[in-house]
Amino acid sequence: MELVINTLVLGAIYSLLAAGIVVIYKASRVVNFAHGEFAVLGAYLYFSLSQAMPGVPAILVVVLVTAICAALGATLYHVLMRRLVGRPPFVAAMVTIGLAIILKAAIVIGWESRSVGLNLTRIVLIDYGRGFRLTLIEAITIVTCIAAFTGIFAFFRYASLGRQFRGVAESALLASQRQVNINLILALAWALALGSAVIAGVLFGGRSILTPQSVFIGLSGLTAALVGGLDSFRGALFGGFLVAAATYLTARLVDPSLAEAVPFVLLLAVMLWRPWGVFGTREELNRV
Amino acid sequence: MRLLRSSILAIAAAAMAAPATAQELKLGYVTDLSGPLAGSYTPTWEGFDIYMQARNEDGGIAGATVDIALDDDGLRADRSVAAARKQIDRNRVIGIFGLSLSSTHAATLAETRKSGVPVVTAFSAIAEALPPAQDYYYSTGVMFEMAGEAIAELTGEIAAEGKVVGVTFDSVGGRAALTHNRLAAEELGYDWGEVIFPVRTADFTPFAQSVNEAAPDVVVGHYGAEQNLGMIAALRAAGYDGPYVIASYGASEATAAQAAQQAGSDENIYMVSRFAPASEEVEGMQALRDAAAAYGVNNPTSMHVTGWVLGAVVADALERCGTECDPEGLNAALQETSVETGGLTGGPITFSGDDHYGTSYWRLYKWDGTNLVAVGDWLAKDGLDFDIESN
Repeated sequence: MELVINTLVLGAIYSLLAAGIVVIYKASRVVNFAHGEFAVLGAYLYFSLSQAMPGVPAILVVVLVTAICAALGATLYHVLMRRLVGRPPFVAAMVTIGLAIILKAAIVIGWESRSVGLNLTRIVLIDYGRGFRLTLIEAITIVTCIAAFTGIFAFFRYASLGRQFRGVAESALLASQRQVNINLILALAWALALGSAVIAGVLFGGRSILTPQSVFIGLSGLTAALVGGLDSFRGALFGGFLVAAATYLTARLVDPSLAEAVPFVLLLAVMLWRPWGVFGTREELNRV
Repeated sequence: MRLLRSSILAIAAAAMAAPATAQELKLGYVTDLSGPLAGSYTPTWEGFDIYMQARNEDGGIAGATVDIALDDDGLRADRSVAAARKQIDRNRVIGIFGLSLSSTHAATLAETRKSGVPVVTAFSAIAEALPPAQDYYYSTGVMFEMAGEAIAELTGEIAAEGKVVGVTFDSVGGRAALTHNRLAAEELGYDWGEVIFPVRTADFTPFAQSVNEAAPDVVVGHYGAEQNLGMIAALRAAGYDGPYVIASYGASEATAAQAAQQAGSDENIYMVSRFAPASEEVEGMQALRDAAAAYGVNNPTSMHVTGWVLGAVVADALERCGTECDPEGLNAALQETSVETGGLTGGPITFSGDDHYGTSYWRLYKWDGTNLVAVGDWLAKDGLDFDIESN
């Protein structure tokens, strides 16, 4: 039972991270290598704001931080990424790598390399016995993932903006000729991506300790997105849980020291079999 | 015109000549001030710095003021080597102190030995300091193998028997500490289990579950401060509420306090340390507190004590070496070190020609919600009980 619960929780976090990477790639064909850094930065922001506003419920602080980071994402698009539209994909990729380095440095400087715990809640919902327990934060993580992906699927299927987004993802040129505001859609993509990154970061920090090194969860999210398919939300969900299962089960049942490498072995295997990902669109691969 | 030009040249030459740095002793300090373990190494540097500032204000050492060249190695061996080279060549230091993680020591020593400059480390230590000690390398710090054995013996203050589970990350030092902990614990009759996880672990949950599944009576963590925080939170979440021992590699009472906060309880958190926590009322602590207050160091911890003790050892050697001290003279003086620390350690820091580590003293502390409180007396270690080759 412990294996199932912890795999589900980790899978939920990785899926949320992967979803943020997919939403940007789907809209703009840009792979955001700074996604993990945004997630951890958002979590550190949550920590600072929750310390500064001790009487405010955690959920409100999460909403506030998510809104701040979503706005940051939209601003980032308008100020920086918008200028790269039409350039070769590797240019945008290099920019996101540069962003990752800057964000990591900002975390180190801003919080003095401190390790922090978010202490979201310690309530135990179900205790089966030694080590087999479901805590409230774990339940919240799983429910948040379900709600997020339900919202994503509903948005892209039923919402007008969601249909426009799908149009831009299919063909930005045709969408623009149909009066779709491309810049609005791409800014929305960055806002959604950073918002989901923050939520994933806070949920991760609620389960573990946050350090500047925590940005490596971004690699897990990217691996999940690549395995599932960079342009598929269904793939993000699948990839997140597959990578989590591979990581967690290796650490618990095989050899802890292999846990770090197994997701990348999985990635290699999938890339050799289906380079566009398990649920991705088969396409000419000219991305970085 | 010619006379004017000659006069100008003469004045310029006089101005550019090396100033007679009357009565100044130049020391070098290299450590991690910006890298992953800056949170641990920076307080150690601060402890050393305030000691020297206090001595300078008090008239200096051997009639000379101490001038310290400080460089950041960012926890990288190549930067440590470059910093050492620069301090020797440009700053003309007579000794280099501090250093950071033990993985940086060998490369740095290879560089400093070329110039015969002695190095005294404050934080980590490698076996080169043990008999037969290698030239120009001394340490007042924590040697992984020694710490592992000491912790095994001090575990008896927590539980006389039962199962000990050691946890570390996959590094040379961590594995060395774990191995010697295991050897000593098994000789004392404990059952043993261990879990080793990757260095860059962000999520400690699976490893904590493995530890908990081993049904330990005591868990010992052989890693840095941030890993302690992550592991104890994960252990408590997994349902393990038993004793958890923080091995003091860069951990201090601040780590214990934060670990208690992460765990949601002050219960069963212990730490083994070579240096007294700053809250301990011992003879030598007041001078440190006064210096900390005077020089703007807030909330000193055992990491500041670590640096302060290093400062005392270096100052003692400089006093005996004299105002005209040079690297060879300092090295010779260090080999006759015996410094009482006023209770900051369990006994004097001693170096000899053959032993550049000396007898080390270790103590178990328990977190009581506010401070680390000593459990039992200091344990003296005169050397390793198990050969390093038996790893």
